[in-house]
Formats: sequence, C-alpha cells, structure tokens
Amino acid sequence: MKYRILKIIFLIWVALWVAFLIRELFVKNSVSDYAALLSRPLEGKHSYVTGDRLYDFIILCKKDIPEGATYKIVGVEAGSIEQRRITYYLYPRLESQDPDFIVDASKYELKKVKGQ
Amino acid sequence: MEIIALCAALLTAVFIGFNILYLIFGRMDRFYLMEAVFVSYGIGLAAISLEMLIFYILGMKFNIPGMMIPWMLLFAVNIAAYFRTKKRFTFVRDNASEKRKGGTLSLFLTFGIVFEIFYAFFRALAKPIESYDAIAIYAIKSKIFYLAKVIPADFFSGIARAFPHPDYPLNIPLAEVFVYLSLGNLNDQLVKIIFPLYFVGILCVLYFAMRRFAGRTYALAFTFILASIPQFNAYAANAYLELPLAFYCLLSALFLFGYLENMKDTRALVMSAAMAALAAWTKNEGLMYCVINTFLVFFFTVAKRKDLTIKDIYRPFLYLAVILIVLSPWMFIKARYHISSDEINLANLNPAYLLKQVPKLGSIFYEFQKQFFGPKKWNILWPAVLFILIVNWKKVSSGVQKYAGISILLAISGYILFYMISYVDVAFFASKTWARFLLHFLPVVILWLAYMLKEDIDI
Repeated sequence: MKYRILKIIFLIWVALWVAFLIRELFVKNSVSDYAALLSRPLEGKHSYVTGDRLYDFIILCKKDIPEGATYKIVGVEAGSIEQRRITYYLYPRLESQDPDFIVDASKYELKKVKGQ
Repeated sequence: MEIIALCAALLTAVFIGFNILYLIFGRMDRFYLMEAVFVSYGIGLAAISLEMLIFYILGMKFNIPGMMIPWMLLFAVNIAAYFRTKKRFTFVRDNASEKRKGGTLSLFLTFGIVFEIFYAFFRALAKPIESYDAIAIYAIKSKIFYLAKVIPADFFSGIARAFPHPDYPLNIPLAEVFVYLSLGNLNDQLVKIIFPLYFVGILCVLYFAMRRFAGRTYALAFTFILASIPQFNAYAANAYLELPLAFYCLLSALFLFGYLENMKDTRALVMSAAMAALAAWTKNEGLMYCVINTFLVFFFTVAKRKDLTIKDIYRPFLYLAVILIVLSPWMFIKARYHISSDEINLANLNPAYLLKQVPKLGSIFYEFQKQFFGPKKWNILWPAVLFILIVNWKKVSSGVQKYAGISILLAISGYILFYMISYVDVAFFASKTWARFLLHFLPVVILWLAYMLKEDIDI
C-alpha cells in the first residue's frame, strides 16, 4: 500500500515537473526571451536585461561622467533594481549626496551640477 | 580564447581543491572520481577566495602567478607524500554489473537529470548577471576588486558601506574576481558558470552519498527529484549564493554524519568543520550551520560518552578550532573594521526580547505555509515529506536519518529565530527569504528522504 502511494506521488511529481517546464518555457515566454538573448553579443545582452532605453542612457552617462566623479540618481525608487543596475554599470563613478552630476533615470537626462 | 581561459580557471580551482583533499585524506579511497572532482571544485574556489582575502591583509595585489605559488608548494608536498607511500589513487568504483541494470526507469531518470543540468547551464549562460542581489551585493563587489586588481585599502572602512550589506562574506565575489582575472576581462556572463557547477556538484555529491547505501536507480530517483525542483534549478542560474551555500552545508552534513556513525573518523570531522566554515565564508547563514553542527558533535559526544575514551572528548573542540581557523581571516577583518550585520542583532537573543517577538510567528508561519503548499516552486516536495514523516514515524530516530532529521529541525528553528531577532519588517522579510532559506538545507532533506524510504522502495 505504502509503495503504491509512493508510486502515485512520483507520477504526480513527474506530471507537475513537465507541466511547470512547459509553463515556464512557453506560457511565460522564456523561449522568446532566450531567442532574443542568443542573437545578441554581450553588450546587447546587458541592454536586453536592463531595458534597451535605460541601458543606452547608462552608456551615455558612462561617456559623459569621468571616472572618479560622483553622481546622484533621481527618477527611480531608491533601492530599486534600476538604481542598482545603474550603480553597477557606472562604477567606478560613485553615488554621492554631494554629486558632480544628476542622473535622471525617468527623463533619461544627465545634468552637470558642479563647475558649470 | 575566453572559453579556454575559463576552463583553465575552473581546472585550476579543481586542482587546488584536489590537493587540499589529498592533504586531508591521503589516498582517495573514500571518494568516487566524479565526487572528488566536484568536492575539489568547491574547496578550490573557496581556498582561492580565502587566499585573496589574505592577500588583502598582507597588502598584496592580485596576480594569478603569485596566487599559485602557495598551491604549487602544496602540490610539491603532496607529490613527495605520494611517491613516499607509493600508493596510487584508488577511487571507489561503481559495481560494473549494476551499471547495466536499471531499464526504462533508470533511463528516464538519467534523461531528466541531464536535461535539468543542461537547462541550468543554458539559463545561467544566456544572460549576464542581472538579478537583484547578484548585481547589488555581489557583482558590484567583484567589479570593484577586479578593476583595482586588489581589495582597495579603504574598502571595508569606506566603499563597502556605500553598497548594501558590507557584512556579507566575500567567497563568491572573490571567486568571480578570480574568473575575471583568468579571462582578462570583466565578462559577467561567462562568470556565471560558477553557479550551475555548484548545482551539478550538489547533485553529484548527493548521488554518490546515496550510492553508498542504495542501488543505482534508487540514487538516480532522488537525484532526479532534487534536480527537478523548479526553485532549485532557478537558483542554479541567477547568480545568487543559495546553492554554493547549500553545497558546503551538504558536504559538512555528510562528513558530520559519517563521523557520528564512526566516532573515530577524525578526518571526516575535520572535513565537516572545514565545510561548515566555508558555508559561513559564503553566506552569513552558514554561521548558523557552524553552530548547529558543533552542537551535534558536542551532543552526540556526550550522549555516547560511555563508548568513548577521554581522547575522544577533545574532538568537539577540534571541530570548533577548525571552524575558527578557516574563518579567522574574515573574522579578523570584521573585528578590525567593526563590520556588523544590518539585519540582526545577536544581543536580542534573550528570552525577554524573544517573548516580545512572538506575534511575528504569525507572519513567519504564514509565509512558510505558502512555500509548503507552493507547487510552482517546490512541486509536491513538502507535502510528500510530511506524508513520509507520518507513515515512517518509527524510523525517524534510527540510523543516519536521525542526525539528518535533527539537523533539518535545528535549521528550520534557526531561521525562525533569525526572523524573530531581525530588525527588518518580518512580513516583508519572510516573503522575500523563506523560499531561499529552504534551499540551504534542501539537499539534506532529499538525503533524509532517501534514508527514510530505503526499505520501502526496491528499485
């Protein structure tokens, strides 16, 4: 009896395994995400996972903010994934409350606040 | 070219780990070959990252040839020992006749495991590091270290505090730096290979642990169950540290259970302590497993004291000593720079404070039951565990499963305690972390299931 129940549990397990795999790959559109990712080089992948528009803006900030300069991010929630990604990509430029630049991630604008 | 450099980095980690393993165990006659490879991988990466931390203490920059010097010395010592004893490696081997056995079920299980492994690698390598903690806590640190080719002198006193959780251990961020140094660039896509390798490592170690008391198909069945848990596979690919931690926790538990079965096996005891320390070097939660395992060593030493000599009594202290030695560089830095957790305060671990926190239990158990009945993440694992616990109740306190059972129970209690003494809003914290905490001891749960059912299933 116990063995039969264990067998049924295993069969349910396998059925759910297959169902959740299909759901993840096709219903949640992972397949189309992977297809888009595979066709891009590393920079393109960064852009895809960050959002193309935000990533283009980050690249612009990287060009215009010199290494070692400071910036403050506005326009996104503090501690949000967007803020963390901007911080990651812009390093070695550091966030500061007394910044050289303002990075406005909602309007995709970069403003210089010092030495104008 | 990058792929070759990546393979060289990974093989270097395995080589270093293998030498450490040889130093502890001598001949490899207690390991299967593949098991030794993956155990070596985990030990090697952690040894390299600890070495990088020591480089920081000594004020030295990272450079691969310089970093290899201590390991070449160890290799020379091992070579000398190998030829002095003239004993070849004798890994444990699978029974050849059993290899042919198994049939359709065995084939299906193998397919399932192989599929999950490929899927984990594919998912990990399809994207660069992008998930929240992976980027905000770990990858940013590895980027800082890689660009400076050193842990900056003011890192712990300054820069670290500009990013979340400066108190989190640096095992994986430094392992990522080692990969970047080997690649010669900051490729945050290829570096993710570290994580599915821990996933395969756990599956491999678990499979061979079960092969020591069960047949091939039986071991494959439980390995498949672990590999096919959606949450487990997802965390093999997102660059979070749950699986590296689970890997070290599993190894520590396995060697601990081995020691508790045969209280004379000092090498297993040392290995268990070292793995518990590496768990704490991977994530702060690992410290809890150090406490749990040390408690188990003390408890069973006292419980079995009639069988023991006075000489055996020192072993629990040896366990504690090994943990402290392995963690000493990190503890030194934490003490020197007054780095403390921003999530919990151990001073709150007193009855008066805990009594005031009892209302938190509602949120903690509410989030726990969401995981318990959450098939999207766990399939039907937890209801199945409950069912097996009820029908096999009599077996709970016998054999190795009693150590595994106590270990799991203490881990769950530890996390509940952690929530109770945490500063963070408990409903938010539990909703974000329970599903991850369960991963830390999940492989031990699967091992426990395999022990519990070994007489009920004949495959």
